[in-house]
Amino acid sequence: MISFKNVNKWFGELHVLKDINLEVTHGEVVVVCGPSGSGKSTLIRCINRLEPIQKGELVIDNMNVHDKKINMTKIRAEIGFIFQSFNLYPHMTALENVTIAPIRVRKIPKEEAKKLGREILTRVGLGERIKSYPAQLSGGQQQRVAIARGLCMRPKIMLFDEPTSALDPEMINEVLDVMRDLAKGGMTMMVVTHEMGFAREVANRVVFMDDGKIIEVAPPKDFFINPQTDRGKFFLSSILKH
Amino acid sequence: MWSFYFNELMRSLPFFLKGLWMTVAVAGLSLIAATIIGFILGIVRASKNKILRSIIGAWVDLIRGTPFLVQVFIVFFILPSAGIELEAFPAAVIALSNMGASFICEIVASGILAVPQGQREAATASGLSSFQQLRFIVLPQAMRSIIPPLVGQYVLIIKDSSVVSAIGVVDVTRVGWLTVQRIPEGLMVFGLVGILYFAICYPLINLSNYMERRMTVTATRL
Repeated sequence: MISFKNVNKWFGELHVLKDINLEVTHGEVVVVCGPSGSGKSTLIRCINRLEPIQKGELVIDNMNVHDKKINMTKIRAEIGFIFQSFNLYPHMTALENVTIAPIRVRKIPKEEAKKLGREILTRVGLGERIKSYPAQLSGGQQQRVAIARGLCMRPKIMLFDEPTSALDPEMINEVLDVMRDLAKGGMTMMVVTHEMGFAREVANRVVFMDDGKIIEVAPPKDFFINPQTDRGKFFLSSILKH
Repeated sequence: MWSFYFNELMRSLPFFLKGLWMTVAVAGLSLIAATIIGFILGIVRASKNKILRSIIGAWVDLIRGTPFLVQVFIVFFILPSAGIELEAFPAAVIALSNMGASFICEIVASGILAVPQGQREAATASGLSSFQQLRFIVLPQAMRSIIPPLVGQYVLIIKDSSVVSAIGVVDVTRVGWLTVQRIPEGLMVFGLVGILYFAICYPLINLSNYMERRMTVTATRL
């Protein structure tokens, strides 16, 4: 479904993604982990062309995402993206946040979009807060609205860029619960996260990155118990100390 | 003698009110044109197009760096040599609109650029087009920081409109100049001119202060 073929990216002189080759199949949950600056966020941001690539190919469902002639609106409509800092629209209610794209991009009639929005906000546990503005919601609630915003587009893929890193510890579980449900429902997901418990429980594979390269790819059971590379071992030893 | 001149001045009040109406007309039309042009240029100035940004930036710097009186003279006296003859009123409106637009352009561009980049990224990731992002996501948020200085800029346009009296527009300033020739009490005459300008500017100043306070409180709550 998502295919990275020799993908390379530079920020100026800085080579941030180096010869990335990775396939993500339909319904798979892939967790991407690694130290700060390893290129994890850049990797998933390239998938919906929030970041361009300079070399290689990134293909989603036989469409080359970085081909200048491609209709990115159509591709982005199929990919939900959840940001670390939520990025909810502060001047819109929760319901308006989740319905603007279905109405304006998918051209769904307003009433139908509102009904869908209410259903999905209820599904993420925010049925009572549809008229609330982001400032009136906690961090965990805002992130759940952000997830609902992605889901209202009925995407094929959901990308998560450190979705719980900006949350207070007591709010992390409410977001991870929503993500677990999505994974169980068969959504194709790529998740950049430091939540190794989540990875162990839900991921089909863990991709470990360091210095712009994919160092190791393995099922969570294999990666956490028996990492094959020294860098993988060092990373796990440092995070599992906490 | 003073009371005689005061009575004469009061008898000239209709003339001043006519001049005030001219001031309102010049400033009002210029304000509308400057807002429309300023918003369009401001949106382009905040875009990714480096060439257009530079051209608009150079024009803004030129207008903001030269005296408005010089600009008025160029429009009224120099343009005819290029075949563009204008009456005083349209020349005044064009010059004032041009100057107002240059300031409003910067206010709008700053407001747009102040909207966090994350907002545009979220909108892009949802598939919203650049126009939809501007209309539904960026501009509504930018207006919060645009409106208070914009209203303040309107006050400046009204006050700067007094310069157009130099090319013969019979606004309230020019009425003051004409009146002081037969009522030689400068303080009295231009005191009245000042009061009349204040009467139209003061509500706008209050509005600008109110909006600034309101936007700050709302932003703090967020």
